[in-house]
Formats: sequence, structure tokens, C-alpha cells
Amino acid sequence: MQTQDLVTIVPWTFIAQICNLFIQIFLIKKFLIKPIKEVIAKRHALATEELDKARRTNTEAEQIKSEYESNLANAKDEAATIIQTANRTAIQKSDEIIANANKEAAAIRRKAENDIALERKSAVNEIKDEIGSMALDIAEKIIEREVDEEDHKKLIDEFIENVGDVK
Amino acid sequence: MNISVTGPRIFYTIHTGIPILGDFNITETLVVSWIVMIIITGLCIYLTRDLRVENISKRQAVAEMLVETLENFVSNNTGGKKQFMKLVPFIGALFSTSLLSNLISLTGLRSPTADLSTEAAWAIVVFIMITAEKIKSAGLGGYFKGFTEPIFVMTPFNILSELATPIGMACRHFGNILSGIVINGLIYAALALLSNKVLGLIPGLVGDFLSNIPIFSVGIPAFLSVYFDWFTGFMQAFIFCILTLQYINNASES
Repeated sequence: MQTQDLVTIVPWTFIAQICNLFIQIFLIKKFLIKPIKEVIAKRHALATEELDKARRTNTEAEQIKSEYESNLANAKDEAATIIQTANRTAIQKSDEIIANANKEAAAIRRKAENDIALERKSAVNEIKDEIGSMALDIAEKIIEREVDEEDHKKLIDEFIENVGDVK
Repeated sequence: MNISVTGPRIFYTIHTGIPILGDFNITETLVVSWIVMIIITGLCIYLTRDLRVENISKRQAVAEMLVETLENFVSNNTGGKKQFMKLVPFIGALFSTSLLSNLISLTGLRSPTADLSTEAAWAIVVFIMITAEKIKSAGLGGYFKGFTEPIFVMTPFNILSELATPIGMACRHFGNILSGIVINGLIYAALALLSNKVLGLIPGLVGDFLSNIPIFSVGIPAFLSVYFDWFTGFMQAFIFCILTLQYINNASES
């Protein structure tokens, strides 16, 4: 088989190799660089979009957080007010109850005192009667005579007056 | 023992009858160049099959890494100028073709880069690009005036140095690859001769039989090919592309 010289430039091979180089440039551009660059650009766009979304979500979250915090503060204030009101009401109620109890106790005491006084009076009257009749008996026995009922009564009353005032 | 290192074989000749250009020879150089182009394009298609934006395959990762490395390579060697990013496909084609053409000799095919026509073709393209860049940055008048600087006497030397650029690039690449082929040929022959002599020492028929088989040629050249094929193949492709970018970059700054 024929061979070419070892070191030579063959015009047609030279031209063909220039064409080959440009064809290869075109093929590499079409099949490697362009699709890869496209996919990288797409990914870049996607990443930017995701980042934007994340940023938006973040601001939203911040907003929600501040809202929540202000709500919490409000709730705390409200709770404090409620507790204060409850305390006041409770104090009022307890005061009322104590006052009522005191009043009632006073009433009960007064009634008890009245009862005691009444009882005493009746007891005194009973004793007076008893002493009267006793005195009458004794007097009858001592003087052994009938004394006028009228005089007796007067006498006994006098005697009782003299025996002593109960009060 | 004679060793001959010949040029690429001619498979078919098309008679064109055009003067100067001569006949169109379908040589080994062209056939292997086409094989290289098919391999590169096939690889590109394979790597970029089923591209996805998320959850990418290993194949796609490799493809993206290649493209990014290529872009970085171009931007690093041109000072990151935006205008030169259009050179990315050119450098990609140049580097991949050069590299694969160099490495294809490992399969026993003849490298297209072992033919000066190939490197001359690439170098002339680069030379035209350099010149275009110079004219673009300095204007046509400025370009020609540049040859007379710093003094008028320097003009012939300036023209020589201008022409030396593509010739130097082409010959550097070609010389390295050719030297690999020559040295490989020499080593194969030497090892065959060595095994013939050493095994010939075995007396009788066994020695006669074994001495005809170049046993030493098996394995040993593989170590040498690490340098002459792999290292040189990579280096020359790399150097050719770096020089291309540097020259074009310098041309735009002159």
C-alpha cells in the first residue's frame, strides 16, 4: 500500500482537517455545551426562584411571629385585668359576707340577750309569787289568824319590795 | 534489521486534476480523524442524554463538570474577559480532538496528529483568529504599523516572528507525537531483536522456535507508552490550547 511522506503538508488533507475542526466545533456546541448550559441555566433559575420563595416565606413567618407576640402581650394584659377584677370582686364579696355575718351575729346576740332578759323577768316573777305564797303561809302560821285577803296582799307586796329589788 | 517509520497509508486516491492542490488522498489521517470525531460526538450525545435539572445522574455530573472545567480553562487563560467565552466550543473541539487523536494510537491506529497537515490546519485557524483579533483591537493600519515597531529595521524580524507562531505551534505538537511513534518503533524493534538473541541461546528446536517470537515486546512498551502516549498526548493537547488562548488574549491587548 502506498504511504504518504512522513513530514509533509498535503493540501487536501489540510483543507479537510480545517473542515473537520469546524464540524467538530459545531457538534460539540450542539451536543455538549448547549444542552449543558441550558440545564445549568434552568437550575440557576430554579434556585433563584426557590431562594426568593424562601425569603418570602421568611418575611411572612417574621410577620406572623410579631403578630403572635403582640397577641400574646395583649393576652397577658387581658389576663392581668381579669385577675385584678376578680380580686376586687372577691374582696368586695368577702367584705360583704363578713359584714352580713357580723350583722347576723349581732342580731342573734340581741335576740339571745332579749330572751335572757325575758326569761329572767319571768323567773323573778315566779319566785316573787312563790315567795308571796310562802310568806302568806308562814304569816298565817305565825299569827294563826285569818287576815283579810286584801291586807295580806298589800303586806306581801310591801314585804317583797323590802326583800329586795331583783335588779 | 531495518526499521522504517513511514507516513500515514493512503487508502484511496480521488483524482481531482486541480493544480497545486493535487489529488485527494483518503489517508489514515482522515479516516482516524473521522473515527475520533464520531467517538467525541457519540460521547457528547451519551453524556447529555436524559438531562435533568434536579437529582442528576453521574453521567450528567461528568458532562457538567467537563463544560465547567472548559469554561474555567478559557476564562482563566484569557483573564476572564467576556468576549472570549465564545471560544469555549472552539477550545473544547480543539482539545478533545487533539487529545483523542493523540491517545488513539494506544489502540494501534495511527494518530491523525502524527500528520503535519492536521496540526497545520489547526494552527492556521488559530493564526487567522489571532490576526483577526489584532486587527480588531488595533485597526488595520495599527496592525501593519505594529510590524515596524520599535524601529523600521525590525520589520522582517517581526514578520518572521508573526509567522513563527503558527509554525511553532504546529511543529511542536507534530514533533512530539511523531517522536513518540519513532521511539515506540525503535523500542519494539529493539525488544524483538533482544528477545531473539536471548531466547536463541536456548539450544535445540525450542530455542529456534521461541527466538522467532518477540516475547520482550509484550508488556515492556506499555510502561514507555505511559510517557509517550498518555503524558505527551495530554501535554500537547493542553499546550496547544493554552497557547491558542494566550496568543488570542495577547492579540486583543496589543
